[in-house]
Order: sequence, then structure tokens, then C-alpha cells
Amino acid sequence: MRVKHTAITLALITALSACGGSGSDDTSTEIPDVPTTGFSFVATEMITNLTDDVIVAGYANLAAKGDALLLATQALLSASATQADLVTAQNAWKSAREPWEQGESHIFGPVDSLSIDPHLDSWPLNTTDLQTQLDNNSGFDAETIKAWNDDVQGFHTMEYLLFGNGVDSNTKLIADLTTSEREYLIALAEVFRDYTTLLDDAWQVSYNAEGATAIPYADLLKTPGDATNTIYSSQLAVIEELINGMIGIVDEVGNGKIADPFGESISTADTSKVESQYSWNSLTDFANNIIGVRNVYQGEFTGASDNTGLVDFVAAADATLSTRITSEIDDAILKIQAISGSTDMPFRQAILDEDGRVLVQSAIDALTTLQTSLESDVLPLLSDWNS
Amino acid sequence: MNNKLTLLAVSVASVLGLSAMSNAHAATNTETLAKAIAKQEAEIALLKQQLATLASEQKQQQQQSKQVATQVDTVVQQTAEAQDRFSRFSFNSYGSAVYTSDEYFDNVQDTSAERRNRTDLERIVTEFGYQFTDDWSMEVEIEYEHGGTGSALEYDGFDEFGEFESEVEAGGEVVVEKAEIRYRPSKAFGVKFGNIHLPIGLSSILHKPSQYLTVQRHKSEAAMMPTVWNENGIGVYGEISDFHYQAQVVSGLNSEYFRTYDWVASGHQKRFEEVNTDDLAFAGRLDYGNFKTGSAVGVAYYFGNTSGNRHKSNKLDVDGALSIVSVAGAFVEGPWILRGQYLYGTLDNADAITLANKTTPGLQPGNFAQLGSESQSFFVEAGVKLDEWFDLPMTVFANVDYSNPLMAVETGTATQRYENTWSSVGINYSPIPEIVIKAEGGLHQVAVASIPDTNFFALGVGYQFSL
Repeated sequence: MRVKHTAITLALITALSACGGSGSDDTSTEIPDVPTTGFSFVATEMITNLTDDVIVAGYANLAAKGDALLLATQALLSASATQADLVTAQNAWKSAREPWEQGESHIFGPVDSLSIDPHLDSWPLNTTDLQTQLDNNSGFDAETIKAWNDDVQGFHTMEYLLFGNGVDSNTKLIADLTTSEREYLIALAEVFRDYTTLLDDAWQVSYNAEGATAIPYADLLKTPGDATNTIYSSQLAVIEELINGMIGIVDEVGNGKIADPFGESISTADTSKVESQYSWNSLTDFANNIIGVRNVYQGEFTGASDNTGLVDFVAAADATLSTRITSEIDDAILKIQAISGSTDMPFRQAILDEDGRVLVQSAIDALTTLQTSLESDVLPLLSDWNS
Repeated sequence: MNNKLTLLAVSVASVLGLSAMSNAHAATNTETLAKAIAKQEAEIALLKQQLATLASEQKQQQQQSKQVATQVDTVVQQTAEAQDRFSRFSFNSYGSAVYTSDEYFDNVQDTSAERRNRTDLERIVTEFGYQFTDDWSMEVEIEYEHGGTGSALEYDGFDEFGEFESEVEAGGEVVVEKAEIRYRPSKAFGVKFGNIHLPIGLSSILHKPSQYLTVQRHKSEAAMMPTVWNENGIGVYGEISDFHYQAQVVSGLNSEYFRTYDWVASGHQKRFEEVNTDDLAFAGRLDYGNFKTGSAVGVAYYFGNTSGNRHKSNKLDVDGALSIVSVAGAFVEGPWILRGQYLYGTLDNADAITLANKTTPGLQPGNFAQLGSESQSFFVEAGVKLDEWFDLPMTVFANVDYSNPLMAVETGTATQRYENTWSSVGINYSPIPEIVIKAEGGLHQVAVASIPDTNFFALGVGYQFSL
């Protein structure tokens, strides 16, 4: 037995020293505890940038546009208001529409908890009730209107008053704007201004208007995981919220805003379901929704200097995927804009036009592709991220 | 062994032989007589002894049968007690399943209705009662709505594109509808407390399928206030000649959940485990006659504040005083049935409540925040029992339900979108008294001129029994 043990020991020593002989001094080599899978990305800068330069900047812009819209509508009260004043007000409305629609890519936080969305953007408009209010009241004031149902206020009620019914045209004559319509419009613009200010304050001053100690919602987004942060437990939770925000609006535009009125065929197309049909602003709205997705993805507004966005997060995991998403977003925007075709056809007409429907379908397809990529390729990256 | 036996037999035989010989020698008459007497005396003594034994045995038997009798008595008594206890226990059940076919509109702009058929195991209700003593009793009513518990996904056609809303039903949809303890020393006066039914609205009194003619309970009542309304509280009640009275102090409603389409109905605090009771309410009723058994007329009144029960108490600093008045009548005589009810309610500071609901984070009343400062509804149902003339246990009926939860608003003009009228005709067929099969068809009208009238059709089956 002893002889055997000794023999084995000797053999082992020989073998080990033979192995060791190939390297001179690598006895200190350590095998890492965790296998290197997934990817690394430092998200702090991205989150700060997206919060301040995209989301907060967007709501600040919306609040400013809300002020401008109120001023523009107030100019219509005078009996001597001109057609040019009406056009100015129409443009102020369209201008306010842009930051709002772009902001729908991040429709979480105060805009959700304070129910701002239905107050500002309820759809469809209840024209029957609106007419009843116009016929039976005068000297409308903002505080009163706030207590009325959402389907007789907000963007689309103002749109209807500013642009007319949109069936054959999107231009209204100042002479057709009645006194009670003007009064109602101004009161609506004031309500609108109040809500956009409230939303801006919620992000920049205090996310809970009643809680004296509540911090700005922007701070909650920027300090995930803090002991006092009851909303976001980690950076991962913030990024997940951002990606889900993008998916949400792509879904709504593709499967709701466009597909619902589009229907299965011309016979089932329903123009009553077209959003912003009075101003013929629908395609601009839809495009702005996806431009909002691009803002969050790229980390800056279109044309601004490059900043860190989700594109960098995705690129850290998969550079090819990162550029593919960029092109899919751009493609969806282009396909939506292309629906108007060479004749500048508004969306409500396009869904009733054979050629228009082909273009609408291709926009829906582009949005479906984008939605699938965001859901199947981008969202799963969160589980690979070594945060 | 054989040797031993033989020896024993020989000795026995010799002894016997010896005694026989002595008897034969002493045989004289006197001796014989004395012997006979002695023998008889011995026999008599034996007999006496036997008699004594018999007597004692009889005594024992009597004792035993007495014991058995006692045992039988005990068992009989126990059985009687058990029967008594059982007779103090009561169990009732009723329930209904319905099929409805209605026409729906997609959104507020839509004027071409779409038909939707639905089935629903509306409710199964079990009632347990126990009469502790002549004066004290209790009753618990458990309702299983829509066949189960859990969360529900609801489709809201008025919201934007039509939105799906997930809703966790209050404590599931198994609801304790009543859990009351009663003390009733006399017919004229009783007290009940616990979770009690409010006597506002006829549905609280006539809620079993055989007690109303329509397939579903009256829509007019449900569009204005909680139906089969139950709250925690205490009430007195009684019967003096043909007058029935009730007076209660109960937990109030929570105005956070008031909505345009059903006024204060959804303010019934069923969503949470505990009911906010900072605002109490008073409910009273006086009837002449009995609605449950026949003809009657009655008035009811409810009054309570609703702001104090809000969860977010800092949103509203005014009272939302709510009052509801009801006038009801029933004429049930021979084959004729005629019932009706009118409800009118007022809500103070309706605009302030609307605004508070609209701006409370997370409350999301959406487009249904606006509240009527006044609300009204009524129904009239009339039926004829055909078994008076034919061998057919059937009742034909006509019904009109009307409700307008937004009868008036504090400012502006109230929309007529929620002003609904349902007119219908139908039948109730009862193959046996415990079961009723119903069919109803009718017209639904919305007061808004641009919304076309729609037709509805419904089938239902209901049962009820008592142990």
C-alpha cells in the first residue's frame, strides 16, 4: 500500500511540474467568479439627460405654448378680430400640439397620476353636448368649465371651434366664429394653460401639488434607488419605464390612432374616429408621436447636438440592433408622412381612398415592425445589462 | 384409569346397598307421615325462597325498565331540543341567471349601434338565520355575483378609442350583503344592528326574482343609487297596525366614487376592507301596508354628508350633503299587480366634488367626473296573472324605467346623454312556485336626439327556496 501511495504521489508531482513548466511565473492567474456575459453601460448620464433635455424641456415647451395659445385666442374676443388673428390662433393650437404629441412617448408620471391626459386630449369630441353648452350659456369661465366632462374641453374642442367640422375643409372664416364660441374657446385655452402649467410644475417643482415636501418628479427619475425614492427602485426600473413608454405610443399610433379609423376595408373605415380631423392635423400628430419616440431613443430633439440616449444603451449591447432601431423609427415617421401622397391628402380622406389606403397600410406595417423590435429585441436587453 | 373407575363403582354400589337395607327396616306409618310433612315443609320453604327470589328479580326488572324509561325520556328530550334548535335556524336561497341582448355605441360620436349578446350568472344569494331566543335573532346574507370572485376586465366604450380597464371587484364578488343582529321584544318595536339593508328603494325590499317582473332589477334605481343598499349601522323598526316603520343611522357614502352615469350609486364603499365612517347618514321609511306581501304605499328619506368619507380628505373642504326622497306604491289584488316608485335626490356642492374627483391623483374618473346637483328616476310595472282565467301559471307585464342622474348641474347645461328610458313588455312563467322563467323585450331611448333608439331583449331564470 505504502509503495502504491508513494508511486501515485510521485506521478502527480511529476505531472503537475510538467504542466507548470510551460509558463514561467503565471501561478497568480485567477479565474473570475462571474462569467462575463451581458453588457455594461453607465446609465446615470443618459437618465439625467433624457429627463432634463427631453422630458422636462418638452413639458416646459408645452406650458409656454399653452400661454401663447391663450394669448392668441384672447385676441379673437374683439369684434374687430381679423382672419389673420384666427390663423394665428390656429397656428398656436398646432404649435401646442407638437410638444404634447411628442410627449406621448413618455406618458408616465404626473401626466398619468394627475389624469392630465383626459383633461387635455379626450377623444372623440362630444359635439352634441358642446353645441348644447354653446346654445345655452354665455360668458364661460375657466373654473366652471373644469368641472364639466372631458369630452367638451381640451385640444379637440378648441380644434373644432378654431377649424370647423373638417369634413370638406380645415379653414374657418372669422365671421363664422360666434361670440359664444369665442368665449368658450378662450375659457378652454385658459383651462388648457392651467393644466400644462400644473404638469410642468409637477416635473420641475413638486410632483404632488398637495404634498408640501414632494420633490420634482424629474428628481425621482434621476435618483432611482435612493432611500426616499418610492417610485423608482433602480436605474433599470427607469430604463424599463422609458422603453415601455416608447412601446406604448408606437402601439397606440399603429393599432389605435391609425388602424381604428382605417378599418378592414373602405366600407368599414370610420372617419368619426380620426383624431385631429377638424384641423387635418392627424398625420402631423402621428408623426410627432413617433418623433417623440425618436427623441427618447436618440436623447435629443431632432436637430439638436448629439447627446446620450437609449441608442447608446442599446449600442452597448448590440451595435447592429442599435442602428436597426434608428432606421426603423425613421422609416415609421417617413411612412406616416408619406400617407398624404403627392396631393397632400389629409388622413381622414386617405382612409377612404384606394391609393391612400395602400400608403396607410405601409405605415401600419412599419409601426408593427418597430413595435416588435422594441418588444422582442430592446426590452429583453434589460436582463442582460450588468447594471 | 379403568382400574380406578372399577374400584369407585364397587365402593358406591356397596354404600347404596347398605342404606336401602336400613330404610326398609325402619318403615312405619307415623314416621312416614312425619317425613311426608317434613318433606312438604321443606318444599314450602323452597317455594317461599323461590318466590322471594322472583320478587327481587321483578323488582330489579322494574328498576331496569325505569332506567330505560329515563333514558328514553332523555333521548326524546335531546331530540326535541335538537329539533327546536333546528327550527330556530333558517336557510333561504335565491338566485338568477340572465341572457341579455342590447345595442351599444362605440363612442360619443357613433350613431350606428352594434348588437351585443351576453349571459350572466347574475347572483346566487344564501341567507342564514338563527333565532337565539324569542327576542334575539340574527341573519347573514352572502351574495355571489357573476358566478365567482376575482378581478374583472371591463370595456369602456365612452373613453377615447374605447379602453379596457382592469378592475378588482370589491373583495372579489362574494359580498356579505347583510349581517345583522336583531332584538325584537314586540311586534311594534325592534332594533337591528350590524350590516343592515337601507329601506331606500324598492329593490331593497323586493329583491328576489319572483318579487319583480322585469328580467333584471329595475335599471332606473341602479342608475341613481346603490341597489339593495347595505351599510353598517343601527336601526329601529316595527309594525303598528298596518304601518311599518324603519329609522336608521348608518355609514355614509364616499363622494370620491360618484360618477356621472350613476350619480351616487358607486359611492357605496365596497372597494375597501374598511368603510370610512366619518360621515354618518340617516335613513327612514314609513309604509302603510306591506310591499312584500301585497298592496302598500310608502315614503322613504335618506340624508347624509359624503365629503368626510373621502380617502384624500384635503381635496374638498365643503360638505357634499346628499338627500334622496322616495315615494312608492303597490297594488296587488287578485290577478292584478301594479307597482311604482319615484326617486328624487339632491347633492350639494356637486361642482366642487366634480373638480375634486377630476384632480385627485390616481382617482381617474375620466370623462365621468361631472355630477348632477339633482337626480331623478322612476319605474312603473304592471302585470296580470293569467292563471285567473287559464290553467297557466303565467304573468304578462309591461314596465317603464326612467332615470336621469344628471337632471340638473350647478353650472352650465346638463347633457341629456344619461337620461335613459327603458320601456318593455314580457312574461313571467312559474312552472312551480319556487322557479320563475322570464322573457322581456323593449325599447331603450336616450334623450339626446342624435342617438337613435335601440331595442333590447332579455331572458332570465330565477329560483328561491326556504328550509
